[in-house]
Amino acid sequence: MDPDTPPEATLVALSAQLSRIAKDLPGPLRRVRVHAGDTAVEVEWQEATAAVAAAPAPPAAAVPPDTPAARPAEGEPHAAVPVAGEAVLASPMVGTFYRASGPSEAPFVDVGDTVEEGHTVGVIEAMKLFNPITAEMPGVIKEILVRDAEPVEFGQPLIRIAVGADGLGAG
Amino acid sequence: MFGKVLIANRGEIAVRVARTLREMGVRTVGVYSSADADPTVLRHFDERVRIGPAAPARSYLNAAAVVEAALQTGAEAIHPGYGFLSEDPDFAEVCAEAGLTFIGPAPEQMARLGDKSSARRLFRDAGLPLLPGGVAPAATIAQARAVAGEAGYPVIIKAVAGGGGKGMRVVHGEPELEDQYRLARASARMVFGDDRVYLERYLATARHVEVQVLCDGRGNGVHLGTRDCSVQRRHQKLIEEGPAPALSPATLESITESSVAAVLQLGYAGVGTLEFLVDADEKFYFMEINTRIQVEHTVTEAITGIDLIREQVLAAAGQRLRLRQQDVTIRGVAIECRVNGEDPARNFAPTPGRIDVFHLPGGPFTRVDTHAYAGYVLGPHYDSLLAKAVVWAPDREGALDRMDRVLAEFEVTGPGVRTTIPFLREVLADDQFRKAEHGTGLVDRLAPDGRWTQRS
Repeated sequence: MDPDTPPEATLVALSAQLSRIAKDLPGPLRRVRVHAGDTAVEVEWQEATAAVAAAPAPPAAAVPPDTPAARPAEGEPHAAVPVAGEAVLASPMVGTFYRASGPSEAPFVDVGDTVEEGHTVGVIEAMKLFNPITAEMPGVIKEILVRDAEPVEFGQPLIRIAVGADGLGAG
Repeated sequence: MFGKVLIANRGEIAVRVARTLREMGVRTVGVYSSADADPTVLRHFDERVRIGPAAPARSYLNAAAVVEAALQTGAEAIHPGYGFLSEDPDFAEVCAEAGLTFIGPAPEQMARLGDKSSARRLFRDAGLPLLPGGVAPAATIAQARAVAGEAGYPVIIKAVAGGGGKGMRVVHGEPELEDQYRLARASARMVFGDDRVYLERYLATARHVEVQVLCDGRGNGVHLGTRDCSVQRRHQKLIEEGPAPALSPATLESITESSVAAVLQLGYAGVGTLEFLVDADEKFYFMEINTRIQVEHTVTEAITGIDLIREQVLAAAGQRLRLRQQDVTIRGVAIECRVNGEDPARNFAPTPGRIDVFHLPGGPFTRVDTHAYAGYVLGPHYDSLLAKAVVWAPDREGALDRMDRVLAEFEVTGPGVRTTIPFLREVLADDQFRKAEHGTGLVDRLAPDGRWTQRS
């Protein structure tokens, strides 16, 4: 009924090979394809900014990169075209963005604040869990793009940061 | 009724569900991954939420993101479509805990019916015939040997947690059994994380016939006729038609009536599909139940005139079923062809790429459900279904002729992109298929070892 099913031995060997490759990837694992007909392993990984299809097999597929884009057709562009010397922190998940750890607490950051890499700049609540959002590099907060307690979607720009410890171009 | 429903899916089925909801005056929320940030598709929804990156595990399979999106937008219910989270009882439970209605059966029922072993037991007890074999998983090789001996060879070993045709093994005789049994368990453990397997008699030439049912969970239920899905490549359906051809009226009546009786006895709610194998003597054997809307529901819609998504939503909203069995009339014959972005000459391997030309067929009694268009990029992240072409005609011959005309009109081209269209047309022209004498072995005959050569 399934004549193409390969011997499990090949499959097991491929899987072992795969886990070795996966450990050495330059970015997080994105997709894996194991064939056993003529033996093949395909691995795709994610690079720092855009997703790159590393698999050689399928012919030239344009993979839309995981970069933030405006909510289509809603006339409310997310207004966050990155400018040179700036970084835009995007939401890693669907949830509710909070600027402070509690209603009566001071905000984590304000415009003009200098932040270090790893500095908490906000939290996103998803499924009753609070997930800290941290600066990915040192810089100065230029703009906070969402209001406190605003629902956000995946990839939505949250905060603009002028990159550099002394906040190049921050005014 | 719901005021707003979130559709937790993508592609043609998300668009399909959105259309009916709009007709019902229900607002829709679409969710999408970064790979699907496509205004042409997203215009079908009233609101949109991006739930994650391209990888399904972090977007369409990400229960937390889907539920958050529903809560954020004020949706009251979630339609899961097919695939992804549609048969995940844990997801249904998370929805319930968040105060959202999952459009499908209750989580406990999904869990009991999704486990093939417990589903077989439940339906056997509800009066449906099973293929000779074990109802409980075969825990040891000795048990497997006993079951196989009693059922008679050839037997097929299936994973309890299996689905979509994965991990099945055919055993032709006792000497092979031990090896195949061990391999089946090993691969079930690897693929499904559950190494329980069961054995049943294998029918080399059988028809795959299914019965569509619709119940309200309050003791009312109807069947909406049968479909034949024998044209499969490695258990992936390519062509579906309804009603199942070349079965006697007595068999059709018996298979549909016993299906309805069984689901009513189990207190089922919503739409469901009972899958059967039917042998040359028209004996039918229950295989499994799908507790979601199916790809090929369009066939049933064409022969009954009933919108299945609408009925599914109404049932989930707790409304009493208005249809009685005598209101359901099967008229004519409908056929659905799946136009996939796959290369039939290369074992139906997906062919991702940009579609430059996309000319849709049209004409009388023709429906095409698709999310694609000229300029659409068929990405590598999701399944390769591009479009479903569905036709209706008063009789089967007319329907086959009409479908061939439709596929001749359907043009899909792009660099590297191949489709199943030429292969589907060859099936439509096949003598055995025309006479409805085909079984599940048809595709293997036309494309031996997965290699199909187009006749010029």
